[in-house]
Amino acid sequence: MHLNNYLNNKFLSLPLLAIFSGLLALSAFAAWDVQPKLGYNLTPLPKPVPAPGFTLEDMDEENHSLKDFHGKVVLMNFWATWCPPCRREMPSMERLYQKFNGDNFTVIAINQMEDGDHVFAYTGQLDVDPTFTILFDKDSKVSNSYRVSGLPTTFLIDKQGNIRYRAIGGREFDHPEVEKQIMQLMQE
Amino acid sequence: MPDNRHLLQYTAMNKRRINSFSLAAFAAVLAMFGNITSAANITSQKNEDSGLYSWVAESEGFSIELIQLLPDFVRAIYMAHDFPDAEVDEIAGYCVFGTIIKNTSQQQLDYDVANWHYTDKHGNNHPVKTKTQWLDQWRKAGVTFSWTLLPDKGTFYQGDWQQGFTTIKLPRDSEFSLTYKWSINGIEHTDTFEGLRCAPEQLSEQ
Repeated sequence: MHLNNYLNNKFLSLPLLAIFSGLLALSAFAAWDVQPKLGYNLTPLPKPVPAPGFTLEDMDEENHSLKDFHGKVVLMNFWATWCPPCRREMPSMERLYQKFNGDNFTVIAINQMEDGDHVFAYTGQLDVDPTFTILFDKDSKVSNSYRVSGLPTTFLIDKQGNIRYRAIGGREFDHPEVEKQIMQLMQE
Repeated sequence: MPDNRHLLQYTAMNKRRINSFSLAAFAAVLAMFGNITSAANITSQKNEDSGLYSWVAESEGFSIELIQLLPDFVRAIYMAHDFPDAEVDEIAGYCVFGTIIKNTSQQQLDYDVANWHYTDKHGNNHPVKTKTQWLDQWRKAGVTFSWTLLPDKGTFYQGDWQQGFTTIKLPRDSEFSLTYKWSINGIEHTDTFEGLRCAPEQLSEQ
């Protein structure tokens, strides 16, 4: 049935409409959830660029600043739950985090314009719950400061807080080539 | 002095050299005039689950895929992000395509949707409304959400790709072609994606 028929029905309650639109979005989303092969290339920047600082809240509404991670190599990923390649690359980010966490390396996933309840519901559906830090950029100010124009976009930041690599689009982050680039930065 | 077999190989090798040189020279001459028109390899397919069509064009270092989206899907997406009704209706009135673009080269690729246009069945050209133009309009309507549309401009390196919506202002089921441009290492390429079609208002009962 056509959506306008529902919208024109005066007797349709707003909550029902909200549920319907959510379900429609989810089912229709599957058609758009195409699956291009994920690559593994991270592009080195011609010269290191200082990563813009920020302070953002996590799922528990605790603040985290980029400077808290100084001395660690940081894989910083900008994402959202509705973004198909973001969802696809997340398991590889978790595997990477599990492999190198505690070894001067961490992963920060900066969600765009969603809230904790929404992300909590999403991560609860995953086979493996992400254990890396998820932060909330509710007005996209931080992504703007990094000049992110599309999701996902990922930066690899060295121990001195400089952006060294960039990737636009989904990646398999636990690919040996990515791990090699991370290990090189950890050894600097 | 090479024998016949070697002579044939030698001749073939030189022909390839000459051909490569000619092609390179031809490309260089075209590049001097600022543009190379590429011949894309286009494939299309129907999604048996959704009933919608998609097309992929692959040419010089650039791949673009357009996926038909139903107006109801577009409405649902923007309603879910709390867009005002007028804005939802406006974008759902366009032909909206899921779009995936990729840098398939090993060099720097640049694109700018502001340089793209589509051609309707009467042969009239129209500019593609860019993300920047949509965002300007949405900001005036109090919308801050900015992530669904294909970014207008991009610089992609090896392995970079992006997906987002492209909007074409034509009636449902219209046929059109899309002319798009990109550059590889500063050399501009142009191609035309023929035989595209807007999604219907809704899928017929199967």
